[in-house]
Amino acid sequence: MSQVIEDKVIDEKLEWSRINADVIASMQAPRKAYWITVFVCLTMFLCAIAAEIYQYKMGLGAAGLNNPHMWDMYIATFVFWIGMSHAGTLLSAILHIIHAQWRKPIYRFAEAMTTFSLMTAGFFPMIHLGRVWNLYWVLPYVSDRGIWPNFRSPLVWDAFAISTYLSSSALFLFIGMIPDMAILRDHTTGWRKKLYGILCLGWRGDDRQWRNFRRTYMLLACFLIPLAISVHSIVSSDFAMSIMPGWHVTTFPPYFVAGALYSGCAAIMTLFVCLRYFFRMEEYMTLNIMEKTTKLTFAIAMVWTYLNLIEFSATWYGHNIYDKEVLIAKATGPYAGVFWTMIFCGMVVPFTLCFQKLRRHMPTMFVISILLNLGMYVERWMIVAPTLAQAHSPHQWDVLWGSVIQWAIVFGSFGWFGLLFLVFVKLFPCVSMYEVKELCFHLKHEIHEEELAKKHAATKAAGKAEEGSGGRAPGTPGLEGA
Amino acid sequence: MSFKNILENFSYYRRDAEDGGHHEYDHRFGMTIDLDICTGCNSCSTACYAENNLAVVGKERFEKGQAMHWMRVERYWDNIEGDYAEEGAKFLPMLCQNCGAATCEPVCPVAATYHTPDGLNAQVYNRCIGSRYCSNNCPFRVRYFNFWSYYEDSWPEPLNMQLNPDLSVRDKGVMEKCTFCIQRIRTAKDKAQREERVMADGDVVTACAQACPTGAIVFGDTMDPDSRVSKLWEKHQVHRGPFLQKKDKTNEEIRGYRIFDELNVDPSILYLERVRDTEV
Amino acid sequence: MSRHRLLAMFKDFDDAFDVVDKIKAKEVSGVEVDDINMMSPIEHPEVDTKLGKRPVNIAYFTLAGAIFGVTFGFFFLSSAQASFLVQPQGGKPVVPLPTNFVLMYEMLIFFAVWTTVICFIFLSGLGQKRGTLYSEKLTVDEIGIVVEIDESELDSVKNFFKNNKALEIREEKV
Repeated sequence: MSQVIEDKVIDEKLEWSRINADVIASMQAPRKAYWITVFVCLTMFLCAIAAEIYQYKMGLGAAGLNNPHMWDMYIATFVFWIGMSHAGTLLSAILHIIHAQWRKPIYRFAEAMTTFSLMTAGFFPMIHLGRVWNLYWVLPYVSDRGIWPNFRSPLVWDAFAISTYLSSSALFLFIGMIPDMAILRDHTTGWRKKLYGILCLGWRGDDRQWRNFRRTYMLLACFLIPLAISVHSIVSSDFAMSIMPGWHVTTFPPYFVAGALYSGCAAIMTLFVCLRYFFRMEEYMTLNIMEKTTKLTFAIAMVWTYLNLIEFSATWYGHNIYDKEVLIAKATGPYAGVFWTMIFCGMVVPFTLCFQKLRRHMPTMFVISILLNLGMYVERWMIVAPTLAQAHSPHQWDVLWGSVIQWAIVFGSFGWFGLLFLVFVKLFPCVSMYEVKELCFHLKHEIHEEELAKKHAATKAAGKAEEGSGGRAPGTPGLEGA
Repeated sequence: MSFKNILENFSYYRRDAEDGGHHEYDHRFGMTIDLDICTGCNSCSTACYAENNLAVVGKERFEKGQAMHWMRVERYWDNIEGDYAEEGAKFLPMLCQNCGAATCEPVCPVAATYHTPDGLNAQVYNRCIGSRYCSNNCPFRVRYFNFWSYYEDSWPEPLNMQLNPDLSVRDKGVMEKCTFCIQRIRTAKDKAQREERVMADGDVVTACAQACPTGAIVFGDTMDPDSRVSKLWEKHQVHRGPFLQKKDKTNEEIRGYRIFDELNVDPSILYLERVRDTEV
Repeated sequence: MSRHRLLAMFKDFDDAFDVVDKIKAKEVSGVEVDDINMMSPIEHPEVDTKLGKRPVNIAYFTLAGAIFGVTFGFFFLSSAQASFLVQPQGGKPVVPLPTNFVLMYEMLIFFAVWTTVICFIFLSGLGQKRGTLYSEKLTVDEIGIVVEIDESELDSVKNFFKNNKALEIREEKV
């Protein structure tokens, strides 16, 4: 069989009414595992709330921070969540621009992941502030005292970048969901109908709406790609703009972007496996799509590995004494175990993605994607902690593992993210219905065309006279089974 | 109108440190610490605690690294093995260097730390939101963060009576650091103004300099060519501004250096190297 | 003479396109191809070629938003900095251009994205009431064609649709 049919990402014969019915059903009756996960996430989140209340009252000493370790896990987790937010929108936008059809069944939850991990990430700069109640001082508002934030600070850039990114990616998610909201408005009842009726903004699907929709979606995708790249470059500036050894690295922006895509792809894999199971989405989130995602992950993993090695060698051959000492301490010092975990999970584990058997085995993919994300989490920690542990002034060298409070908040953030995400996929379709329909439609065309071409070739081979052009036959397959 | 303001003064606002900077400095306070006569007695540190309302954090928090000693005496040993490991410690009084091109300043998101026309690296406690980036970006690690509400148990009755009324007691969540005793500078300036004269050398003495029994610490205005500090800087051939190595290396009398000078942060503290006859 | 609106539903795009072709060929009077409004559950790239060129002006607004964002960004930031002279820090100038470029870039995207979305809502007629003719099958798999005609031609157009595989016809008075 031909290429198209073999890599078919979805069964093109799916009836459109079934697509609607399946997705709507998924929002109503998930498997039991869904509720268990919700409960676990809620518990984790409540632990974090308790920890945060204590920390708020007592001060940041509760997090176990000390003089050299002014930042620790909070900032590492912040970078982790920001990184995770990148795959969704960035991949969705890039794949949209290059017309990769296989993105269609999975992009919705990937974009939701973006929005929610950004909302999780946004908490960490707040949690780690000494005086959270004065957070709004970072915003450039007109004050009667003529005081402005300091626009030179990468932290202010963060505030700008994150608010831009959060609003843009939420809009991107929302715009992409409007036609689906219309579907839901027409085919649900009760409060859901009311909710979707408001959210679909009166979408009717006429040609003017589709035309504007297509243009808008493309424009937003075009803006989101440079935006996503700039956001993580700015997050990397939090480190790269400082003069600390191990932070002041020129390659940090691309390195962070690659790392962000990497952890984001791994997270997409994890969520893919979970949603496929929770909502019985086997027909939509097919193994072929998983395979394409894993291949992409592998490619990005190699980019990240390369940039990581570049950074090490630049430090090694750069002969800056401080930088070099930090690098050596990472590999051999008290954090060595963590460092080598990062190397193993981030650089070695992705090679398992080379085997097709593994790529198509969902439980294995779940474990591997978790391992990749563990590697990426640890990577962020290995950026923050070892530098602070062994910076310029030897008098202030110290190793820190964080207090219970700190760990509770970090774990709780996973609960918060999980909660947001799970509520989202219950309220809104995690598979884009109208785009799956488009996918089926185009796939049918392609297959039909290929069959025609084959017939054509056969007639040619038989030495018969050529008739007509090779163009599309007038009778393109319609939409049977309406 | 600020729009007009930008157009008229744009080139002025674009001046950075290499062009002399935006500031027209009135003073540039600086310090000299002679390590040769420092005995590591810690009285500078003690004086600082008394003068600047520094919280006493207790043994446990000190061990965690949450101490608040603006002025700390670091100890280093040349040989940590051998028979006399405890001997031969070198002392390095370390305090905020009030750098001319301070790395802590541009990273503060709310401009809570900035450069004053006195050449000081000021910290506005009220404005600080505690992002702690400044401390992370300080190669000297001399910024101290209020991790807890230290004041609650730092000065039990009647010790609260000894707090210095000239400056505030800080609550949790703000960064603080050595200010070169800005309250004393303020007082001296006001006094000089009342007496209608310019500030003279010796009008301001920081608490650490005042308390040092051997007189290792000298404080003054490095812009005043007649001050003791300027003369020492001159003598040891160290100059304000970017890192320039133009020293007479043959002259053993010249012992001046600035810590982490190669990072180009323009520290205001000149250290004079310790000289020991190792044979003894 | 009152005007009427007709909604004809079709099984698939091919049937609907046939009808459009026939209207183009003037097989029925009173309906111009430019009056046709086609409703579909998915986006079909050939709709545009069949119905003829219709303008999509969003990109101009996006451009305007982007230009506004970047210029506003620059003047906002530098006037804030120039009026906040406590800012001399770390030996850096009062108006540091590299910093402002970073923030101008973010503001460019911020304003461009928001203008795009707001203009999308207006330009695509979302949230505006334009007739009640609608069928829930439009969000399943059927294609609808809406035309506006004079009362005198109502029957002929209806018949035309019926003869061309229309599954269902709904009408309303304008």
